[in-house]
Amino acid sequence: MGMISVALGRLSQAFLLLIAMSLIGFIGIHSVGNPVFNVVNIETASPEDIRQATIALGLDQPIWRQYLVFIDNVISGNFGVSYIYHQPAFELVMSKLPATLELASVAMLIAAPLGTGLGLLAGRRSGTLFDRIVLKASVSALSIPSFWLAMMLILVGAILTGWFPSGGRGATARFLGEDWSLLTANGQWHLILPALALAIPNIALIARLSRSGTIEVESLDYTRFCRAKGLSSQRILFRHTLPNISVPIVTIIGLQFGGMLAFAVVVESIFSWPGVGKLLIDSIQLLDRPVVMVTLTFISVAFVALNALVDLFYAVLDPRVRLSSQR
Amino acid sequence: MKLGNPFRPRLLSALLISILLGGAPWTPAQAQERGELRIATSYKLMTLDPQYANLNENTSLLSHIYERLVYQDENLELKPGLATSWRPLSDTQWEFKLRDSVRFHDGSDFTADDIIYTIERIRDFVKSPSGGFRSYVSGIKSVSATDPLTVLIETNGTVPNLPLSFSSIFVMNRPSEGFETTEELNAGRPPVGTGPYRFESWSSGESLRLARNDDYWGGKPAWLKVTFRVIENPAARVAALSTGEVDVADAIPARDVASLQQRGARIANVSAARINFVQFDVSRETLPGVTGQSGEPIANPFKSPLVRRALAIATDRGILVDKILAGYGTAAAQVLPNGLPGTSAKLLPEAPNYDEAKALLSKAGYPDGFNIVLAGPAGRYPGDAESLQAIAQSWARIGVNAQPAASPFSVFNTKRAAGDYAIWYGGTSGEAVDIILHTLLASPNPGRGTGALNFGKYRNETFDTMLAKAESIQEGPERNQALALATELVMADQPIIPLYHFHHIVGYGPRIGSYVMHPRGWTTAMQTLPAME
Repeated sequence: MGMISVALGRLSQAFLLLIAMSLIGFIGIHSVGNPVFNVVNIETASPEDIRQATIALGLDQPIWRQYLVFIDNVISGNFGVSYIYHQPAFELVMSKLPATLELASVAMLIAAPLGTGLGLLAGRRSGTLFDRIVLKASVSALSIPSFWLAMMLILVGAILTGWFPSGGRGATARFLGEDWSLLTANGQWHLILPALALAIPNIALIARLSRSGTIEVESLDYTRFCRAKGLSSQRILFRHTLPNISVPIVTIIGLQFGGMLAFAVVVESIFSWPGVGKLLIDSIQLLDRPVVMVTLTFISVAFVALNALVDLFYAVLDPRVRLSSQR
Repeated sequence: MKLGNPFRPRLLSALLISILLGGAPWTPAQAQERGELRIATSYKLMTLDPQYANLNENTSLLSHIYERLVYQDENLELKPGLATSWRPLSDTQWEFKLRDSVRFHDGSDFTADDIIYTIERIRDFVKSPSGGFRSYVSGIKSVSATDPLTVLIETNGTVPNLPLSFSSIFVMNRPSEGFETTEELNAGRPPVGTGPYRFESWSSGESLRLARNDDYWGGKPAWLKVTFRVIENPAARVAALSTGEVDVADAIPARDVASLQQRGARIANVSAARINFVQFDVSRETLPGVTGQSGEPIANPFKSPLVRRALAIATDRGILVDKILAGYGTAAAQVLPNGLPGTSAKLLPEAPNYDEAKALLSKAGYPDGFNIVLAGPAGRYPGDAESLQAIAQSWARIGVNAQPAASPFSVFNTKRAAGDYAIWYGGTSGEAVDIILHTLLASPNPGRGTGALNFGKYRNETFDTMLAKAESIQEGPERNQALALATELVMADQPIIPLYHFHHIVGYGPRIGSYVMHPRGWTTAMQTLPAME
């Protein structure tokens, strides 16, 4: 029974969050400017064209009524049609999702093991040269602006050496009705630089977290008991330290993964990677409200879902969480 | 996870080595097919409906698939397209003779019936919120076919520039029944035109693939396949051209030209058929952001032609063109670059004259100048936000203290329409001089559709009459002369300060022999000739 009420609580929280997001997003994009000026060719349109477009898009209505129309549409499963692309906004966003999903997943598959590993090793040997290198490198990796990092990767990896393509998605193959770069060699080749650009700051972040966690855990009594019992230091590190520092790491992985799904804008635009982040920023610039609203809704849903997953993972990873929930 | 764990460390170390060695030059095997042209474009194709939105973003790419009755050459002169000739039969009747034995990509013949369908579709059917191309056919009363290759068009009143209108309209073929909707075209019904390239595939905001149309009436096109990659980030376009991933990249920022040339790319450029200018609000009694020397509100100073003239001759176009646009711009004195039809040879950009400007200001009653906010968009046109700064510095020399205020284009437009600005930087384009004069400088008149961009509410009846008279003349030297005279008259009154015509810059690689620029700014495979091999 407890589980059901917890789940219901979470669901209603998520629902409230979605309502709040939609309101904030709607008012926000409304106050930026009038999308009519992007829909018509402002350099040639007559006032009559502008008036007709305003009516056609329903922008002549007061904002509260526009919001109610929007909510009404969403309930009936319809996010409206993109002002700019003249395609259903929901389908448009979903068609950009595979690109973002594979980019974010590959970046996280690089960042999570590498970051955790580096942090564990550095924490184990805190104070050594290796530790100081990891620490310094992570500080600089975190303070580099992502557009600069992306540009440098293009400069070195594509322009100077010519090893990698400078942008784009390359060849794709169809799987489950969507196009995926991961399934072709050429596509994988195109993935490497943008994935690195996304991964590097995350490696640094995760390494710092796991390093400080390791240092803390290594000084605790149970580690000393383990050592006294004669367990190998490898076994201590992976069977005892790692699970005990995993909660914040999994949290940050979940949050960062959500962030990459939604806001990999800089990397996506510099590598002209046609993903959700790029679509979002394009749509904000063009004031394409239906697309912005779908993307925001998708982002909120993704964050809620990821957080729930992260909570579940706690129980798997950390024995203390399991115990407390059994009580 | 099967994703090559073994080779990733190797790549990383390779990357490190390359950094250490300063990067050994090694170009990847050119994987592209022989005869394939790869273009990186800033224009994203938004819809496959050629009649949905009248924006270069769409028309530039769709011009490979669809054709027009008439087209404009590089000097904006009208040339036969799908129509071989056209002539007015009376004041309200036009006859267009169509090209024989032209076939659509699906094999069907091109006939007068397709023109009728095209016009009906634009006028009555396409539900474009923007009005699409409706304004081009608004003067048409009826269309009929006297024989399969002759179209008779009746107009409401005289429409002497009807052929020019047809240089913007893409011809579609009549389907066996009903009308094609925009949704159908976007959902995968392959677009069918008569153009030199056939549609292969499209991914919105990503790419457009085309294949050669071997049956093209104008002879076999130069390229077997054409791939457009939409790359909106200018740095990314430059990178793609540098690495040889594409053969042509459009809208190159002027600051990247030198480094591209160093890497062996070649550059083509042309003055755009557009103008960027400063526009005054000349109608209201008081203006937002306009104050006297000590900050007190003052009456609208821009009502005085002396003040407008003073600001115009205190504007240093040389700095804008040479420094801000790095030479890739032409100083402007009228609405289109000198030499195009309808421009005046007498109007030439002036060097700044600050003493005279100060004298004019004193004469107008502002010996100590005044304060204004100079508004403008940022990132819409080459050099827009930087120009605000440069102009403000020039004007400071005559005591006019301008505070530059740049905002994103959509915000700028919303505020301009709301009357939040007193004086602003703007831009416009048009297929001909009269179109720009018509929207930018003619008195606002919703009934006649004039002055849509005349946000400053400038009114000059003599000019309106001259323009109307010029517009009633047939396309030709007489019309061009009348337009030039009207331009000279209106520019003397200085309702706007013409700043510059920025250049369209295209970079191309070694596989390209030549690239012909067009002032309209389209990027097409047809402008590209392969290098002799």
